[in-house]
Amino acid sequence: MAANFWASSHYKQLLDQEDVEAVHSPDKEKGITLEEFKLVKMHMANYIMRLAQVVKVRQRVIATAVTYMRRVYTRKSLSEYDPRLVAPTCLYLASKAEESTVQARPLVFYIKKQCPDEKYRFEIKDILEMEMKILEALDYYLVVYHPYRPLTLFLQDAGLTDMTQLAWGLVNDTYKMDLILVHPPYMIALACIYIGSVLKEKDTTSWFEELRVDMNVVKNISMEILDFYDNNKGILEDRVNAALNKLALKQ
Amino acid sequence: MVDTGRSVGNNGGAAGSNRPVWLQQYDLIGKIGEGTYGLVFLARTKSQPNRGKCIAIKKFKQSKDGDGVSPTAIREIMLLREISHENVVKLVNVHINPADMSLYLAFDYAEHDLYEIIRHHREKVSHSINPYTVKSLLWQLLNGLNYLHSNWIIHRDLKPSNILVMGEGEEQGVVKIADFGLARIYQAPLKPLSDNGVVVTIWYRAPELLLGSKHYTSAVDMWAVGCIFAELLTLKPLFQGVEVKAPANPFQLDQLDKIFKVLGHPTPEKWPTLVSLPHWQSDQQHIQGHKYESPGLHNVVHLPQKQPAYDLLSKMLEYDPKKRLTAAQALDHEYFRNDPLPGHNALVPCQSGEKVVNYPARPVDTTTDFEGTTSVQPPQSVSSGNAVAASMVTTRPMQRPMNMMNMPRMPPGVASFNLASQANMAGGMHPGGIPMQRGPGMPPHQQQQLRRKDPGMGMTGYPPSQKSRRF
Repeated sequence: MAANFWASSHYKQLLDQEDVEAVHSPDKEKGITLEEFKLVKMHMANYIMRLAQVVKVRQRVIATAVTYMRRVYTRKSLSEYDPRLVAPTCLYLASKAEESTVQARPLVFYIKKQCPDEKYRFEIKDILEMEMKILEALDYYLVVYHPYRPLTLFLQDAGLTDMTQLAWGLVNDTYKMDLILVHPPYMIALACIYIGSVLKEKDTTSWFEELRVDMNVVKNISMEILDFYDNNKGILEDRVNAALNKLALKQ
Repeated sequence: MVDTGRSVGNNGGAAGSNRPVWLQQYDLIGKIGEGTYGLVFLARTKSQPNRGKCIAIKKFKQSKDGDGVSPTAIREIMLLREISHENVVKLVNVHINPADMSLYLAFDYAEHDLYEIIRHHREKVSHSINPYTVKSLLWQLLNGLNYLHSNWIIHRDLKPSNILVMGEGEEQGVVKIADFGLARIYQAPLKPLSDNGVVVTIWYRAPELLLGSKHYTSAVDMWAVGCIFAELLTLKPLFQGVEVKAPANPFQLDQLDKIFKVLGHPTPEKWPTLVSLPHWQSDQQHIQGHKYESPGLHNVVHLPQKQPAYDLLSKMLEYDPKKRLTAAQALDHEYFRNDPLPGHNALVPCQSGEKVVNYPARPVDTTTDFEGTTSVQPPQSVSSGNAVAASMVTTRPMQRPMNMMNMPRMPPGVASFNLASQANMAGGMHPGGIPMQRGPGMPPHQQQQLRRKDPGMGMTGYPPSQKSRRF
């Protein structure tokens, strides 16, 4: 339900890690590895964030767009649905869903401006066609919850508002991973607070105890986030391009 | 977790054809409504297990500016996909036709709506709507609204034509709130409708909005319910202001004047935030110009002031949105505990001897096809009721937006999705195993909701006292 996560389609659609990490067979046939699959999704999340900055939409729209993109790839292959088109289209659709509509024309214009690589260029018509395919791929479930609101409330409750910027940044980075498909957003928020409190050497043990959440899950999410930072030091443009070339999508 | 077995991939478009494959599962009967968003059709399911069931198909026009699926359609689908309640219209399918980028929403079909019911009594029947029907309609409307508000959804466009009532069948006389094109989840501050270029009828608009308030709260829906309640009683719109037609949300002085005439002037003593409303300040001489002395609501609705019905109505038409009755409070009102008790089938009174009014079937324009093309053949007349594929005569102009629904289930697997498989989603709100008891420890999405007394969201319980009678 709209304001009740536990009754929402988002909650019902949460997936197990294995389901999120299944490389679709058309992609497998082209030699795409799990690592590459994750890499392409991360790259596309970054691409959405970059585009969002130029078309000027709120963080929430970005988060929704990335979630749409990740959900699409739990059901569709990279080969069928070119990520270079899916990513901007998810931003386009999310902007409508989150009531800060971005028009297709400026979006296409900014894509051209942002991406020297011709393979990222699409026409308005391509975006509009992909919008419909994405709606179907999402099974028309468009309401997405994010960790930002719970984060703010938790930080206030814990008296850790001075950590807001750090924790907020951590939450932003979680969209480079598939966490939003697997865990309830408030658990992701808690993991980010946990990491933040370790980094800033704040003792939050008793606060977490009082919450009576499963700390094992919070710690596991935190470890995933930290692993992600470790594994993605230095950028990977070449590896992303290598993966995209394997797909041989658009010549 | 996710229902991966469900087919989502029906792209539907027969190559090069405007008649997508999915449409072939329906027999089109005709057009039943038209609005700015597009057209509404009545159709019947061809295949089992629901052969012959009626559905209403709302076809959204492509957005004019060449910008894909209209944001209104997106938001309507978005909300409808999340909600499920007996008194809220049920979306059974979504279809996309990639050939012309049109979008179709298939709903359960409802034969009646309050606009038509009220009109029938006013123009065709010599008596008012019987008290049992009025109370049952109102109770169910509030029950659906309480569900929406409990889930932080404001409808924002409640009016008689958007309140549907099911015709013959299992759900006869059940109210369904429809048309969520303007509805919003309000965890985030809402932009005024006028900012989105949206025009809604002013007769049901709350005074705070007329006075320029920028914030929508669920109280705006309760004002509309009050207006609808009065209209059910008197068969006339309560505040029939003359709309100022102009772009950019013009000040609707006449509408306010109509309200003041009946309810008296609002005062800052009774409504403290009144003074901060833009139009109260800027149009002072207009608004505060002529004073109306005695509030005459009871005279207008012909109710003694001591009656619970009057008490309830006056509390819904409270000026101060903060003091206005909520849907949950209204459901608790004495009016609903007195005889006649509200019931499940609002159209058929339980007391023997009460006359049952046969409301006419919705007019269908059989000359329009799914593409919205009108053929030249003249409309033909046909009997009402459950008239089947034969054509029906259109007896009224089709300007007002309509939404009709009525069919429990779609055959599984035929279309993009099948909501019936998860219709019970609203029941278990709090899956076990999430032991978070302390305030902020609770998932914050849920917190605000817990502030109020559990309104029994998702529960469609009617007042228990009447259970024996009506079920």
